[in-house]
Amino acid sequence: MTTPLEDLLKLEPEDIWKRNERPTADQMRDKQQIYYEDIEEGAELPKYIYKPTPTHLFRWSAAIENFHRIHYDLDFGLNHDKNPSILVHGSWKQSVVPQFLKDWTSPGGWPWKARFEHRAMLVPGDVLIMWGRVVEKSVKSQMGLIELEIGMKTHDGVESMPGTATVVLPLRDGPPIPYPFIPPTD
Amino acid sequence: MTQQTESALTAEVKAMIGVSGDIVESWGNVDSEYLRRFTQAVMDPDPRYWDEEFAKQSKYGQIITPPIMVSYMASRIPPDQEDAITSAFEGNPMSDGIGDVKRPGELPPVPTNLVRVLNAGNELEIYQYPSIGDKIFFQNKYSDIRERVGRDGKPFLIITRETTFKNQNDAILCITRASTIRR
Repeated sequence: MTTPLEDLLKLEPEDIWKRNERPTADQMRDKQQIYYEDIEEGAELPKYIYKPTPTHLFRWSAAIENFHRIHYDLDFGLNHDKNPSILVHGSWKQSVVPQFLKDWTSPGGWPWKARFEHRAMLVPGDVLIMWGRVVEKSVKSQMGLIELEIGMKTHDGVESMPGTATVVLPLRDGPPIPYPFIPPTD
Repeated sequence: MTQQTESALTAEVKAMIGVSGDIVESWGNVDSEYLRRFTQAVMDPDPRYWDEEFAKQSKYGQIITPPIMVSYMASRIPPDQEDAITSAFEGNPMSDGIGDVKRPGELPPVPTNLVRVLNAGNELEIYQYPSIGDKIFFQNKYSDIRERVGRDGKPFLIITRETTFKNQNDAILCITRASTIRR
């Protein structure tokens, strides 16, 4: 049972970090399917907690060949762009989203789509909480569609990435979700 | 008398909606070393990304890759081209390292005198996990340009660039939309 977001935000950053629910490789191997019928509106997804350091940011810049200096050149960030520090990449946050949705819907569901805004500057030292909450569910084309509110909050409650997502879960007595994914038509 | 604010959504700007770039083949292909670096950097240890035996038994029957990993291949600069970073800094010693770097498949600029660029948000649609060995083809398009008025009463633009990523079989892998504010 995941710690409710509201409760998590009452904790000190180090205590938030201890509630990290990002799955390990072994947990992903053993991941049991969540079915549409298992989910109720208002349910919260497991919280993914991150503590980005400058080295994490550098690793991401190098991995995707993003040369933007605001992510690794502190002098440039402070003095040229007047940022509070080097900044966590929007592209990294964007890439956490499909992971978060994939993990929850695995092994047989599908992380269909998401949309989100970038609102706050995140910096090393922030403890970040990737969160999601079920807001609506419906069945179309024998697939369970789950509408989610998602976001990435800082430990002090600032929402840096408000958004929504639609994921697909199989029905208990339904067919497998098609792959490659075919969106529902009815 | 009320002063009329000039619209930023001019006919020339509107004409950019729907404008597409060329279909571009990303340099290289989807490979296991890029996959390793990417998944470690995003901190996703899913064994379907690296354990062939486990992956074979999964729904997908093979190693898969994170769905939007290929979107960053679009910014790869082919090695037979001029060193884009050196060029950027020769032209502008205070280059931010990204704005002056020319990337493959870029769209023509939107004709506006609004120069400040802010990230407004992203959309992702995911259809298929890319496979190791895939070649990636992408095409950019201005899918939407809207005007809004800021608190200061000045108009600004929200420009959405849609990019469709396909593999060598012309199968859509994912579609991304990146919206930027131009003030």
